[in-house]
Amino acid sequence: MKKIFTVLIMVTLTGSLLAYSLLERETGNYTGSLDPRSIAMGSASVAGGNRLLDTIINPGNLPLMPDKLGAQFYGGLITNFDDRSLPMYNSFDAYCGDATYVSNVHPFEQLAGGVYYKHKLSNFDVAASFIFHPYIDFTSDYLEEVRNNANSDLNSYPPIIAKNYIEGEGSIDAFSVVTAVKYKEIATFGIRFSKLMGDVNLKRRIIWSDYSFEKLDTLLTNTTNTLERDFEAFQVQIGTVINIDPRLSLGLSVTPGIDFDVTGNKDGIDVEDAVYTYFTSLDSLQDVIITDSLTYAEYFAPLTFRAGLNYKPRNIMRTNFNLDVEFVQWSEINKLYDDAYNFYIGIEHCLKNKIPIRIGFNYQTNYCLNNHSGLVFADKVTMPAFTTGTSFTFLENFIFDIAVEYANRQYETLDLFQDSYYDYAALWSNYNYLNLQDRGWGNPDTVKETFFKIQTSISYKW
Amino acid sequence: MKKLLFIWLIINVSIVLLATKIDLNTATLKELKTLPISSEQAEDIIDYRYYTSFFKSIYELREIESIDQVTLNKIKPLVTVSHYDDQDETAQRREEIYYLIERLGSNEGLQEGMSDVWEDYLMTPRNINKLNFSDILNLPNASPIDVAAILNRVNFGDSISSYRDLRKSPGISYYGASNIRHYVYYEDKPLTQNLFIDYQMKYNDDPYPDDVMDMYRETMIRYPTDYDSSAPEIKKQNYWGFFNMQNDRAAVTNKLRIRYQNEWKAGFLYDSPKGSNGIVNSSTEELFKDSKFYVGYEKELDFQGKNFIKLYVGNYRATFGEGLVMENNDYYSPRQTGYGYNKRITGIIGDVSRTQEYALRGFAVDWKRKNLNAVFFLSQDQKDAVIYDSNGNGIFDDDDYVLSYISMTNRFTDDELESAEDFFNSYSSNDNIIRIAPRRDCLQENIIGGHFEYSPWIGTHLGVTGYEATYDRDFVVPDTLRALLVPDDEYASEKWKITDAEISSMYSTISPEIGDRNYRRVVGFDWRTVINNTSFQGEYAELEVDGSLGKIGDDPKALILSAYSQFDNLYLLSIYRDYDLEFDNPYHRSFSESERFDDTVYEKLTYALNNTLLSDMYLNSVQPSAEKGIYFETRYQFNTMLTITRAYLDLWERKSDARRGVRFEAKLEFKPIHQFRIRLRHKHQIKRYDNDQDRNESQADESEIKLLCYLSNFDRIQLGYVYTRVLQPPYLSILSDPALASGPDMAQASTLTHGDMIYVDYTHNFNQNLKVIGAFSFWYAEGASFWDFEDIELDFDQSDRGFKYWFNIHSRIANNLFLSLKYKYKQFLTRELEYRKFNEIPEEGEYYFQRVERKENIIRLQLDWKF
Repeated sequence: MKKIFTVLIMVTLTGSLLAYSLLERETGNYTGSLDPRSIAMGSASVAGGNRLLDTIINPGNLPLMPDKLGAQFYGGLITNFDDRSLPMYNSFDAYCGDATYVSNVHPFEQLAGGVYYKHKLSNFDVAASFIFHPYIDFTSDYLEEVRNNANSDLNSYPPIIAKNYIEGEGSIDAFSVVTAVKYKEIATFGIRFSKLMGDVNLKRRIIWSDYSFEKLDTLLTNTTNTLERDFEAFQVQIGTVINIDPRLSLGLSVTPGIDFDVTGNKDGIDVEDAVYTYFTSLDSLQDVIITDSLTYAEYFAPLTFRAGLNYKPRNIMRTNFNLDVEFVQWSEINKLYDDAYNFYIGIEHCLKNKIPIRIGFNYQTNYCLNNHSGLVFADKVTMPAFTTGTSFTFLENFIFDIAVEYANRQYETLDLFQDSYYDYAALWSNYNYLNLQDRGWGNPDTVKETFFKIQTSISYKW
Repeated sequence: MKKLLFIWLIINVSIVLLATKIDLNTATLKELKTLPISSEQAEDIIDYRYYTSFFKSIYELREIESIDQVTLNKIKPLVTVSHYDDQDETAQRREEIYYLIERLGSNEGLQEGMSDVWEDYLMTPRNINKLNFSDILNLPNASPIDVAAILNRVNFGDSISSYRDLRKSPGISYYGASNIRHYVYYEDKPLTQNLFIDYQMKYNDDPYPDDVMDMYRETMIRYPTDYDSSAPEIKKQNYWGFFNMQNDRAAVTNKLRIRYQNEWKAGFLYDSPKGSNGIVNSSTEELFKDSKFYVGYEKELDFQGKNFIKLYVGNYRATFGEGLVMENNDYYSPRQTGYGYNKRITGIIGDVSRTQEYALRGFAVDWKRKNLNAVFFLSQDQKDAVIYDSNGNGIFDDDDYVLSYISMTNRFTDDELESAEDFFNSYSSNDNIIRIAPRRDCLQENIIGGHFEYSPWIGTHLGVTGYEATYDRDFVVPDTLRALLVPDDEYASEKWKITDAEISSMYSTISPEIGDRNYRRVVGFDWRTVINNTSFQGEYAELEVDGSLGKIGDDPKALILSAYSQFDNLYLLSIYRDYDLEFDNPYHRSFSESERFDDTVYEKLTYALNNTLLSDMYLNSVQPSAEKGIYFETRYQFNTMLTITRAYLDLWERKSDARRGVRFEAKLEFKPIHQFRIRLRHKHQIKRYDNDQDRNESQADESEIKLLCYLSNFDRIQLGYVYTRVLQPPYLSILSDPALASGPDMAQASTLTHGDMIYVDYTHNFNQNLKVIGAFSFWYAEGASFWDFEDIELDFDQSDRGFKYWFNIHSRIANNLFLSLKYKYKQFLTRELEYRKFNEIPEEGEYYFQRVERKENIIRLQLDWKF
């Protein structure tokens, strides 16, 4: 007997700190740290951040900026390598691995910037800044070719049946005002107010080829699904840096969870909020098939609590060691998720020629929905990252920072474009041998993603 | 007059200034501000002193960005630099031995847990004049002859007062003395600090090895043979897909060790292997069960003479003799001679290694007195085991028998395993359901054991070791073993190999010969004597089956004998071993060429096993294979330029199938100048059967040339080339009859595979606190494989062709904080390409595959905090 049941799951802001992944094409990506110095140090900067954009992680870092007036402008290039593979079986019908059937490589860019002013009042340093930065990014790009199964004996590729596209654009941007105060060299306290707003479009298209139209002219029509949404919210973040002694500082920052107001339309039909509805059913192999559709929902960002330290030992190379632990309260958002801890660690060594070498590592936990034995549950997707970078000072007051980050992760997901959609005998050369059924969760895609980021910024102080 | 007055003034001012020169290493900010420099420059000097280094010379001021040559010239006469160092004695000691600790760390994979012991003794050396035989012998690269040479002197009433004095000990080797010297002191303790705390975190996201992946990927959905359908093509048809293992999280290890002098010791380790929950998500019960911890006390007591007592509570390692009776670790090491880099530490030590299955947890006491040594140990722990549905009630329950211990690669919980088995069983007929499976912590093992040793004179001892393990379940190898392990179908006899005698000869607590018992007893005696420059040692052990404990020769037995001769530029080692097939002692770790269950169905026929997880029996096998053979090893230094760094020859016979093997390997180093070395290595191995109806001879050769060049500042570059060639016969027994029309689907002649690899690696030291090592290698293997020794691990490169590069950054952040971060990228074509070639007909294929390369991105992080 076929069981059909429905699970309602709220759309959540998923936790990848690297943007531009198809995994989060609908939920968006938190952009995380945008300061190349701290990115090069594994994004560990809750206590040791000394660039303006580090105030996104901890507003308590603001009074640590050099006197008096300063600015930082950031530009990043992120390349996402997305390899999708399907399960492969040998002649004994035994699973023997995954074969990549589509590779996508897409570069994306990111911009941010801000200015600050710091003023000394007796024992206090008072500072304020205005920063513009992307907070959640929805950009994504995907192209998949569906080809005929004719062989290529004639030194030509099999003809294309259709091209499938997923294109996401837009971001939720933050217009932030940060104010902070420092008391002597003892402690700082800062608060960030951000107006978050953005409009986001997601397009999913299946475009039949000329070859297909020639074969099935009257039956085929191109498909385009759209999802357009506007987001709005207000966010507050507080943070502090406490100097235990000249060598050791502790930093703390708290960002409460926020509920976004969402308006928009799906395929032209207005929706006020956005929710995922997962319809799950069991197929003939007692395997769950999930079809998802977006109808109504709330859109949350979870509470995060981040604590870390900055240690400045005596070292023949001037050295900074940063270590952060971040708590993300996923359970508040979805009962299928566990709370997660992310880890960030980084070192900065200044060589004798004053050029710093920075290296770092971070380890973040994300979730994707999955199922086994008929139960829907959230699979953890963990992503380690290796980072490095340096900086150059020129004209005395300009600092050019550059960071390179390399991260990879792997997860399982449903085929983005299910096979049965292309099940027309006329389009295939050996239709008798084909079995164009949706693969479902019995044979999900394995996605291997690699992120390569080059991020730069110019800081200037007057 | 004015001129004289001016000169007088200058002289006076100079005298005053010289007399009150400001010391850059001790001056306060206020004092520095009295110099003709700006207050920012004064602060920069303080900053430099505080965060970078104390000044060793005035000219170091130029390292400060804000101080130019003009400023330096101006203040040069006004300042001075006193000798000042922030490094305390502990930091200085750590500085001295840093390179040795690095070397120990790089070998830790091979010496699980032992490097901690050696590191402790590096930090807090012991007085060489008070050490006993086993204390010194347990140090790396110390031979029994070296130890006897030292003790003969000390016992004579002499006292060793320095390294130079140590070198004068008659009979001691250069290598022995130069290694021992780092772990001992002579007159004054180098450190007064008493408390030491070491914390270590390791993160490693290595993928599962190929053979492990194969095990988890073999299908577990077994339709009956008469079922007119193929198995469903779903990814969950195996453990890999069912548990979504490709997303398994990385391995993380947290280790904490605390030590007060060399007396009080404590340790804690929580190892989260790949795919496990991790310390954050583990329950308290799991933390207690799966963590390792100990508290130990070691003290020399004066009670009617000198007594040395060791007490350990918690997890401990126990190793005696040559490891025939007791050596508990989870890691197999071939050709563990007990010498050089294949050392074993005998006696009792605290255990916070990653060993899990063969960990001992309880209480151990070790008492030494002059020429006596007695050890007593108790352990109570739950072990993972392979159980089977012996009572035939269709489920795994507490009454079922145990087939064996097992070290599971991924320690799934019982609930997880049951859910997987239920899923797989749902596709099977009643005849094909899973009746044998590993289970976690399902065997209660209580061990009581001891070791007694008497040493009539220096260098000679006689020892007895024994233990009894009692269990809450019975070990029974059933008569229907074959049907239990592989499907009882028409091909079963072909799948069952001669080598499987190694499985069927495992120990049973119930049998017609011995009746019903709930224990396993192993007893052995060991001995050593040093005569001039030669040490003779050995161990003999028996596992009680149907004989008597007091009678020699009536039970399954194992024997190992060895002789080690040492000269100035040469050593010779000979080892003879003979282990009975039925000598199934789970704590047996002595010298052998291969591990138990090599070539059995556990290794060769994973796909045919009723439960593929049983392959772990081979993959993580740690007991030596039952074999008989003789082994010779030497090192010979012709002169300062030419050395045979190691050469060995092993001739042995495997007991289970009488397969004979010869293995020879030699390494030669030519050093025309100190900075440049050429290293050559050749390995030749033959395995052959007398009866070639099953398998015939296989041969493997591997040659390597390596050019090594040391540059300035300890930088070095290395280039290498490896060629390997393997000739092996097909497995005739698993092929179909060539006479039949269907024919075999594999070649029937011997197959030759050969391949080669080139590599280069470079080590760059920015300074003593920052080092980067990088390497690149490319191989074209055609199915052959290579072992590649990276800086801190061994990597296995195989498949058709591929390349990899890696780099490792070692940073000494502070005197007591160390970080190493490694990144590796590996890309290669997998064997899947060949599966497709043979099995897929392009016209009929369902999918169009673009490529089958495999890419691996691996990050390793290690953080050490020592204070």
